[in-house]
Amino acid sequence: MDARQPAEIIGSTRTSRRRVLTRSAQLGAAITGVVASGGIGSILASAKAPALLQDNALSGKVRFLVYGEAAQNQPVFDVFKQQYPDIELEVVGIEGASWAAFADAVTTRIAGGEQFDVVQIATEGQRLFASRGMIEPIDDLIERDAEELDGLLADFHPKLVEWCNTLSSPDGQTYFLPGEFNTMAVWYNTEIFAAAGVEEPSADWTWDQFLETATALTKPGEVYGMHASGAYFASVMPWLLTNGASPLNADWTEATVNTPEAIEAATFMRQLVADQVSPEPGGEFDAFATMAQGKLAMVGGGAWPGPFLAELDALEKVRIVPHPVNSGPGSPVGWNSYPIMKATQNREAAWALSKFYSSPAPAAFLQYQVPAQRSVAEDEEFLANKPEGFAYLYPALDYATPVPGPDQGSIIQQDIEDTFNQILVGNLEPEAGLNDLNGKIQSNL
Amino acid sequence: MGASITESRSAGADLSLQHNSLPAAARRREAIVAYALLSPAIILFLVFIAGPLVGAIVLSFFEWNLLTDAEFVGLDNYRQLFTDDAALAAVRNTFVFAFWSLVTHVGAALLLALMVQRAIPGVLKYVFRTAIFFPVIMSWASVSLIWLFILDPNFGFINHYLEQVGIPTKSWLLMPDTAMPAIIIVDWWKTIGFTFILILAGLQGVPAHLHEAAKIDGAGSVRRFRDITLPMLSPTLFMVAILTFIGAFQIFEPMYVMTSGGPLDKTVSIVMQIYETGFRRFEMGYASAMAIGVFVVILAVTLIQMRLSRYWVFYE
Repeated sequence: MDARQPAEIIGSTRTSRRRVLTRSAQLGAAITGVVASGGIGSILASAKAPALLQDNALSGKVRFLVYGEAAQNQPVFDVFKQQYPDIELEVVGIEGASWAAFADAVTTRIAGGEQFDVVQIATEGQRLFASRGMIEPIDDLIERDAEELDGLLADFHPKLVEWCNTLSSPDGQTYFLPGEFNTMAVWYNTEIFAAAGVEEPSADWTWDQFLETATALTKPGEVYGMHASGAYFASVMPWLLTNGASPLNADWTEATVNTPEAIEAATFMRQLVADQVSPEPGGEFDAFATMAQGKLAMVGGGAWPGPFLAELDALEKVRIVPHPVNSGPGSPVGWNSYPIMKATQNREAAWALSKFYSSPAPAAFLQYQVPAQRSVAEDEEFLANKPEGFAYLYPALDYATPVPGPDQGSIIQQDIEDTFNQILVGNLEPEAGLNDLNGKIQSNL
Repeated sequence: MGASITESRSAGADLSLQHNSLPAAARRREAIVAYALLSPAIILFLVFIAGPLVGAIVLSFFEWNLLTDAEFVGLDNYRQLFTDDAALAAVRNTFVFAFWSLVTHVGAALLLALMVQRAIPGVLKYVFRTAIFFPVIMSWASVSLIWLFILDPNFGFINHYLEQVGIPTKSWLLMPDTAMPAIIIVDWWKTIGFTFILILAGLQGVPAHLHEAAKIDGAGSVRRFRDITLPMLSPTLFMVAILTFIGAFQIFEPMYVMTSGGPLDKTVSIVMQIYETGFRRFEMGYASAMAIGVFVVILAVTLIQMRLSRYWVFYE
């Protein structure tokens, strides 16, 4: 249910499937633990979140396609089954290298004759699915259930609702309710800061302050100050957006990755590698393990580093701070949605599942994801066991930019990551590289 | 040898006569049994090879994105093939890969086979043979992941030891000038065992009496290799060359797992380009036209190899 999957978010720090599965299983166990301890009930109660009306008479089968291992979200499915005992829920999981690649895989399976009622889709695939006529518009259902949904819609961050209705929709109809999301921040190891005698960053720090801090923390061959990589969401986008640049314009119709601001951001990233503040990209560097070992001071991340660092017993020593800025605050955002597929034979049951996933019920299970509902995301009990600074992730929506998801998104993402890796290792001059990249992106729009 | 061939031929003629002398009903029964025994292979061939081939040929004349109705576009996809820079670059990359794969496989496998055949004693011979063949049975995905770690710029052991001896290190898979050579080496490591086993089998088939006779006539080892081993091995080398080229021209997995076609598209192979066109761009018709193009290229190169074989392959 993560808006970013581990294999994608780590970007150039590749993670083996086995490790991802192991960690997914551990995350599942952690969720189960929360359920067993009764914590979820109190979170829901204290969150004062609006509840959905339940139509217990709904029945039939619902085929639900999710990204990654289905088993890791079993506790959430169990809650749904408790609410709708007569709906038979069949969950199918598909692995993918990225959300965009997952969207491609789903398209292929549907074209091959497979039928699903509800599919988990992240920002990168939403417009693609809607424009290919694979998703059912839900305006009539929202209007019909207005009384039930009013509280829920009011609890979402308004930008999430707006983006669902504009960027994710090719024709102005509503296809998606927002689910959990990820924005970007910087996770840092407080012990490395203390050992180096460097002051911890403030929430409004700048690139210059960041560079000074990262350089002071770096000990060549022993400690890296920061991990800069070609990873699209986790590295490239935050540096571009905090300098007023982006790979595409606001409505994803034009490539804009060769602006002076983008070139400046790429040059800054290259400097981090050239000065050995960041390890060289192009390998299997495990940023979270290195951070846990005290050899990496800072790494970009949304909510997802949590389970990785928890597994490494390093959660106690990390904190989170917004990404440093140059021209102004910026962060990419990617969110999940659970739309109804056009091919569904059981629209009402599929709608029940779709609504359920945008309700506080599953959101409260999200240990290391950011729920779309403000009431849950800002709940003190939800934040209680998170690293200090986790609360920065929700308000980042105020200044966040949706990760572009045009039709050829997976190909564009690959080109961006390839070019930025080449710039980072010094094979390409930022200006020339980004000019070429701009042409490539434009040709794929 | 000549006598035995004659004997086999006359035995075959006897069987043929026997068959013709069977009653018609018995011959029909025999034919039915023969077709029944062949049917699994024929069905598999029709379903998994002939069917998709015909399907690809038909699709190559259409534009189809999997989800909407296909539209007939005549030869447009083939015209596009000749003007598509990305596809032509992928063909170039694939030829580079196939050429070096062919050279390194045949050359090194011949040397390894000679070494194992002649210079390694007793049990060690089996150990070497197994060790060289072992990577062949591993999956490409596992091999690619192993080599990703070996070539890692930060903690890979290759860079570690290069640093120890003062040689500059690199991000091997991120550098445009080293990514393809790195993949050629990985492919060599993974598949050399197959070529090696075939050539070793060929070497073991060279009659010892020819070497003994040449020795008596005073021929040295180089002369015997040139005038006996190589000619006797030439049919095996010919087969190995064809198989290696066909395999190399269809390379996909190491590029997909290790470099995703980068850096800067330097390692995109033609099969990877077909995959991307079909399953990421959803241009199934064009992807089919590319696949037919690959089929034609492999067929043409194989025919050229067969033609050239007249000048260097010796059949006893």
